[in-house]
Amino acid sequence: MKPLLALLLGPLLLAPLLKAQSADPILRVLTSEMERSRGLRIAGGADIPYYFEYSIDDIRSYTVNATLGGVIDENRNRLRVPQVRVRVGDYAFDNSNFVLSDGNFAARYDTGLLPQDDNPLALRQQLWLMTDRTFKNALESIGRKRAAMRSVTAAPEPLPDFWKAAPVKLNVNSTAQALDEAAWKKRVVAASARFSAFPAVLTSSVELESIVNTSYFVNSEGTELKYPDNIHYIRVKASGLAPDGSTIRDHRVFHAIDAQRLPTDAELNKAVDEVGRHVVQLAAAPLGDIYAGPILFEGVAGGQLIGELLGSQLNLPRRPVGNAGQNSRFTASDLEGRLGSRILPSAFTLVDDPTQSEFRGQPLLGSYAVDGEGVVPKPVTVIENGVFKTPLLSRQPIPGFTASNGRGRLPGSYGHRLAVMSNLFVKSIETVSAEDLKKRLLDLVKQRNKPYGILVRQMDYPSSAGGDELRRLAVSLGNSANGTVLSSPLLAYRIYPDGKEELIRGVRFRGLNLRSLKDILLASIDLYQFDFIGNRGPFSLMGIGGYVYPASVVSPALLFEDLEIERPAVEVPPPPIVPPPALSTAQAP
Amino acid sequence: MSALAWLAPPSLLIWGLLAGVPTKAPAQTATPLVDILASELERNFGALKAKADPPPYFLAYAVTESEAESVSASLGSLNSRNRNQRRTLDVTVRVGTPQLDNYRRVRGDLPRFTGGAAITLDDSPDAIKRRLWSETDRVYRLASQRLLNVKTNQQVQVETKDDSGDFSTADKIVSVSAVPLLKFKGDDWQAKLRKWSADFGNKPGILSASITVVAQRESKTFVNTEGTKLQHGRTFARLIFGAQAKAADGMDLSSSEILDAEDANRLPDEKIVKATMAKVERDLISLLQAPVVEPFVGPAILSGRASGVFFHEIFGHRIEGHRQKDESEGQTFAKSVGTRILPEFLSVTFDATKRSLDGTDLNGWYEFDDEGVKARPVTIVDQGILRGFLLSRSPLTGFASSNGHGRRQPGQEVVPRQSNLIVSSSNKVSSDALRALLLAEVKKQNKPYGLYFEKVDSGYTTTGRRGLQAFTVIPQIVYRIYADGRPDELVRGADIVGTPLAAFAKIAATSDKTEIFNGVCGAESGNVPVSATSPAIFVSEVEIQKKERSQDRPPILPAPTVTGGRP
Repeated sequence: MKPLLALLLGPLLLAPLLKAQSADPILRVLTSEMERSRGLRIAGGADIPYYFEYSIDDIRSYTVNATLGGVIDENRNRLRVPQVRVRVGDYAFDNSNFVLSDGNFAARYDTGLLPQDDNPLALRQQLWLMTDRTFKNALESIGRKRAAMRSVTAAPEPLPDFWKAAPVKLNVNSTAQALDEAAWKKRVVAASARFSAFPAVLTSSVELESIVNTSYFVNSEGTELKYPDNIHYIRVKASGLAPDGSTIRDHRVFHAIDAQRLPTDAELNKAVDEVGRHVVQLAAAPLGDIYAGPILFEGVAGGQLIGELLGSQLNLPRRPVGNAGQNSRFTASDLEGRLGSRILPSAFTLVDDPTQSEFRGQPLLGSYAVDGEGVVPKPVTVIENGVFKTPLLSRQPIPGFTASNGRGRLPGSYGHRLAVMSNLFVKSIETVSAEDLKKRLLDLVKQRNKPYGILVRQMDYPSSAGGDELRRLAVSLGNSANGTVLSSPLLAYRIYPDGKEELIRGVRFRGLNLRSLKDILLASIDLYQFDFIGNRGPFSLMGIGGYVYPASVVSPALLFEDLEIERPAVEVPPPPIVPPPALSTAQAP
Repeated sequence: MSALAWLAPPSLLIWGLLAGVPTKAPAQTATPLVDILASELERNFGALKAKADPPPYFLAYAVTESEAESVSASLGSLNSRNRNQRRTLDVTVRVGTPQLDNYRRVRGDLPRFTGGAAITLDDSPDAIKRRLWSETDRVYRLASQRLLNVKTNQQVQVETKDDSGDFSTADKIVSVSAVPLLKFKGDDWQAKLRKWSADFGNKPGILSASITVVAQRESKTFVNTEGTKLQHGRTFARLIFGAQAKAADGMDLSSSEILDAEDANRLPDEKIVKATMAKVERDLISLLQAPVVEPFVGPAILSGRASGVFFHEIFGHRIEGHRQKDESEGQTFAKSVGTRILPEFLSVTFDATKRSLDGTDLNGWYEFDDEGVKARPVTIVDQGILRGFLLSRSPLTGFASSNGHGRRQPGQEVVPRQSNLIVSSSNKVSSDALRALLLAEVKKQNKPYGLYFEKVDSGYTTTGRRGLQAFTVIPQIVYRIYADGRPDELVRGADIVGTPLAAFAKIAATSDKTEIFNGVCGAESGNVPVSATSPAIFVSEVEIQKKERSQDRPPILPAPTVTGGRP
């Protein structure tokens, strides 16, 4: 299930709240069942609903996954995923922002999926059962929340529980052409066969996923939306074993909102060959050593670093009301309490802007017209001259602000959505050309009498790590004193004073975290676009189910004066006793 | 029927036994899967034996190709239509000796080596060999590490009572037959289900109802280092009718019927479907109005299907072989071979070779078990006397070899599991006479009524020493049968509880008609299809307790209507 917000090709229609019934049969069903739900009352109960929200993601998906010319998995799915939200009380005090706000107290009779036919009775039956359950859960939550508040000291600031938002109407039909599944299956299978030419590649896959979604949304404030929300991607992955038995790997991902913009055969084949070559090179590469000194994040690696460290932290989720003495699982943003503080060198300004649909002719992945709460987003200058100015906001009220800025893109906790980034533009006023930046790195190396500097060309973010590797990594992270969990570099090089580069493997950053960003020395004038699909898993691990957010970072290359890398103490199994089977169909790339 | 490959001079030839409808074999590929498995098995085994320490003494590769299609509908509308296909690889590596190897259970733990890796759906030799090789390496490492742990444990533990070893010998079998293809007319079923479901459950008080049809095909390819090479499999189909409601006091109620057949084309016709839907609705509406049961101890009749579940839970799980040698198990019957454990008019057999009984397909049918051992009928209880256990290739004292009950869900390790359980009786009376026996017993015990369990949902049992040696059977439809001649009365909210040895002693007579319960059983080695066949049984005493129930009230607003708007 991947409800996604995506670029709208049609014009955005903002209209005053109309009384007229929607022409769309699904929207009509949602609205009429919502109207009927306004009558929900429990005799003698004081709490009545003040806000309803209904949404449906009507999804058709196609997945094909191939390895060495054979299909491992091929799936077509049709799903209609509904969500119902009911708030009882009022905007000032309701059932949200409490540790048990998402609790399930009432028995469940709805199936969690809506029927696929546009049959009003069958659709309404499910919506009716969902609304009833959600209302009962809301009543239970607000009651328990009141009880909990008696036993804790009152909140320091009088904040409302839910921000109001202006009603929005939007009706955009999809104009996207269907993906030619049979043709793509052939392409994916053919591309996967090319890995046979790289004997060092021991596991590999080429995977296509196409999600064509129509999103429907209505709320009791008059918002009514229907819009396409599509995403297609191809993941090329390969791994092998270094002579010491450790796993080495590389990946390449293509994303497209419009299926017509997926890679051509030539581009796909080129990516497979490149990934294959990298694995071969990594298998032969020396193990990196412990290092402290200047490090340059070249090309997209700068954007990967910013996306990973900042992308999910620019929000400031609110701490829920808890039961006294009970631990809640609340995870605060790393930036909590740092509003108005310096996060980056003063040369840097970061703007998050989902209203931009392309950058220098390339589509941006994080563009959308309305967020998951039906709020129209505006560009937000999150960091200005290095100082954290404005967080990304959903409709969950936080101190110092008065309304959502339209970033409620992921399901969140405690009755609210979670704000995440969209298209993040990293700008610096102190820049040099990419070439000069590399020279600067070498100058630092010479100044500090280092035998070499470190160049990072690709980070493992989102990570393509497999299950076994991830388990070993988790163990080593648990054992390490270094609490920061940052993905590792996939392609890191030693660069010697004479400019010679040498690929290394098996290294990880030590102590590189959000605070390190203050020490960025210099940025390149050239900008690089990094597209990714983020999720809430560790390293935004690829293929983790649940909710995702497509995003882009446009960033310069970044030079740090002083960072550390280490060789993690990961336990590596000895190399296999039996040699790998010979391949029958080797072909030259 | 076609034999696809004969690789080695087989010592025991079995031609494909998959009668049914002979269908064309899947397109013949250059190298059939069984050959790809066999050649990589030989290569890995040879290299490991030569270079690995400890060397393996046995290797097996099992690939299960499962294909499933399903359609589900409610209120005349399609809920879902799905198709899935997957090939799962299970690798077995045994290191040590058959007497003591890496599969030895230590302190009750069931080791798991296989990971159920996915392999390509087509027979691509390169991709499959790569996967076989990397999985063999992974499983070998785990196996050799575990053998060390087992050996260490042997030194510190007292000797166990069972010295039967860890792996028994088995015949080498070569049998490669084409599995019938899945022939599922999805569009037809979609139209039928839309039509049938239009009115199903659309009655006051019923909150949800659905009809689902599932058709499945499982093709198993198996090779081991003893030379066994198998390809076999079967199809399954079921029609599921379910409806749910909530009583005014908050109790969640449900009613369901499942119709099974080996093939979707053999599922019942519209007439039976309509009668089934009507029964599901009628039962649920009656339950909504039925009184809540009070805790009760007294005589009862279990219908054939209810009795089947009763035997599956309280008896079947206790005669699974591995429980007899595991010191953490209750071992209810471990020392009872040759002694009476059931009334002498009862016999129990497990017969995986039976495909159908009285025109009903049996869900627990298979040709070979998941260790490549040929299925055979096994008499476990003969006229009340315990004769043996369900066995995989893990031997027991006095039982040196498998009787073809080593089963698993792909991705799990094999343990002995049930197949088609069949209870037979020599103390048979007519249904009316059985009812008369019940009423006489009610009067004798001075009770106002006895109970009739018509339909059961499911059941569960604990066999470990740590827990109670107890079982629970969850009935759906239970009637009070009054001694004073009042009409039978449906009640809701009852669970049958008890302990096994006490329960068997109370079986007094059976009816002369048997019924079949087809289902899926979940235990250590995952879900496997099974069936239980039994006559109705009369027991002089059962105990029922009140079911745990939800407290929240039925929906506040009335159900939506076609026209919508406020009611």
